[in-house]
Amino acid sequence: MSLAVEAKNLVKQFGNIRALDGLSFNIKQGEIYGLIGPNGAGKTTTLRTISTLILPTSGSVEIFGLDAVKQAAEVRKIISYLPEEAGAYPNLSGNEYLEFMAKFNTKNQKELHATIQEATKISGLGERLRDRTKTYSKGMKRRLLVARALMTRPKLAVLDEPASGLDVLHAYHVREIIKTYVKEHDVTVLLSSHNMLEVEYLCDRVALVNKGKIVVEGKPAELKKQYKSENLEEVFAKVVGYA
Amino acid sequence: MLKGFTTILVKELKELMRDPKILIGMIVLPLVIFPVMGLVLGYAVESAQEQAQRATLLVVNNDGGEWSQTFISYLNGTMNVAVINNMNPQQVVSQNLLPEYNSTQFVEIPDGFSQNMTQHIDGGDFNVTATLNVYGVFQGGGIFSNLGSSGFSVIVNSFNRAIAPDVVYTSQSTIIKGEIQQGIDPATLSGLLISQSLALPITVMIMLTYSMQIAATSVAMEKEEKTLETLLTVPVDRFSILMGKLSSTMIVAGVAAIAVLFGYNYMLGSITMGIPTTGSADLVALGLVPSPLGYTLLGISLFVTLLSALALAVIMSAFSEDVRGAQALVGYLYPLIFIPSLALIYLDINTLPFALKAVLFAVPYSQPIIASQAVVLGDYTTVIFGIIYVAAFTVIIMYIASRLFATEKILTAKLKFRRGSKKTKEQQG
Repeated sequence: MSLAVEAKNLVKQFGNIRALDGLSFNIKQGEIYGLIGPNGAGKTTTLRTISTLILPTSGSVEIFGLDAVKQAAEVRKIISYLPEEAGAYPNLSGNEYLEFMAKFNTKNQKELHATIQEATKISGLGERLRDRTKTYSKGMKRRLLVARALMTRPKLAVLDEPASGLDVLHAYHVREIIKTYVKEHDVTVLLSSHNMLEVEYLCDRVALVNKGKIVVEGKPAELKKQYKSENLEEVFAKVVGYA
Repeated sequence: MLKGFTTILVKELKELMRDPKILIGMIVLPLVIFPVMGLVLGYAVESAQEQAQRATLLVVNNDGGEWSQTFISYLNGTMNVAVINNMNPQQVVSQNLLPEYNSTQFVEIPDGFSQNMTQHIDGGDFNVTATLNVYGVFQGGGIFSNLGSSGFSVIVNSFNRAIAPDVVYTSQSTIIKGEIQQGIDPATLSGLLISQSLALPITVMIMLTYSMQIAATSVAMEKEEKTLETLLTVPVDRFSILMGKLSSTMIVAGVAAIAVLFGYNYMLGSITMGIPTTGSADLVALGLVPSPLGYTLLGISLFVTLLSALALAVIMSAFSEDVRGAQALVGYLYPLIFIPSLALIYLDINTLPFALKAVLFAVPYSQPIIASQAVVLGDYTTVIFGIIYVAAFTVIIMYIASRLFATEKILTAKLKFRRGSKKTKEQQG
């Protein structure tokens, strides 16, 4: 199986702050890979680096063999990034927003129409897509944005806290979409979350990040077994010496 | 006292006073702007007064009689007077004699003045009066630029009081672009002058500040809503994003510029309708309103200035995290708009010392106002030079903006005032 992401020894320095400190990991094609860790651990910086938003101070990232720094424009054609707490344009309707975003990834009207249809199905928002997004609840907005991130069937979807702050039903919908959709369409997913239970449910493999480094990596079940823990939260606490 | 009111008030004041943007924008800037304006206005009044004191009244004596000599002697007692005998008023203008005497107006004592005076005073024929022809130069911009020209009618009135009531009248004419326009009173034109001095600078100020707010908000909104991050990861050229943003605000600003020109033209039309002109005098040819070329150049000047202001607003907004921050940051640019605009309302740029002129000219946002004064006087070279200057400035700003959009700075740059330096901040997860 080929590698979707290959991050080698990533370092990112912001002034005096070392956000990433030699972080390395690989993601196989079709995998759902989770980064978990506390606030300030370096999760978002990692996702932004892979999404070509920021440049690493040193180290390298390859996305399906493309260098994220030197071939950023090519990488952007095959990835999709969902920032944490992202919003939509408040004065556009859900449909208009999806159309606006879909136009960057489609070549003709037929493709555009098909992409929007796909997003409509994923979001499950139905008639509400005709309304302006400023009238949406937080959960509805997140479903729209997840649909936007997946509608182009990217080779790699980078999702930052995809279900954070959502109520049970919206969170369930978002998780189910990610779980089923990516398997059906062979999409590779890199996601981050504070929610260890969510990660445990969604991810094939996880990496625990602390202070800009990956402290441990593996399948959720294996990690729980290795650290004799009931869940990933406990594993993390033991790894960083908190428990 | 309302319960909890003081607690909330103190907390609000703490928050507001500790926000450097508010502190600088609302308290420090006014403390700077008004003293600067005071200096500018003080200088304006002083230079107008100095000019009036230095001015010599040129008297063209085409009469040569006894009463003309009496009148000249009377004038000599109140101001500097230079006398030229027997010359056609148009010759005075054509030979460019006024600047030689540092004067902007002259008085002709026409042939028959003494005869009429004698008939009125000695002959007791009160229907006969003597007339003095006053010729004033129509000047460019600046409310205070005509300060010295109102003194002459006061002198004539006092002469009448000394000799005989209502014996001498004045006939006002205006010299526009080296041509005498008979019967056009410079006083009537002063209304037009003041309107020209006030209307366009104020409109330009409003338009620039408003469109800068729109441009800054459009980028800051993307940052605040986190839509910019998404947009920067889709396969689209980042220069296209920048140009898309600038173009949309440019279209709005372009419509605004056209609206300004239409409104300005209508206003000038309304004012000049009230000006009596001899025969079919062409107001454009007289230089009272801009020509079509003048309007076109003024429009271009407005447009390039708007473009540069918008690009600068986009850059400034890149250094803020939200709409409020962007608006506050853009506010720091307002003195650059307000000070030259207000200064040019009161001053004629051509009369300023070189250093001050250079400073005003260097601020790109004063160009449409300088242009509005220059097109009326038919000085297209100044306007074209200004357009080229602002265009060059805009290209530099656009280049910086495009570089900013091409790098992670658009997401990570943030101005920190605490240590007075620019720093980057990254939200880490």
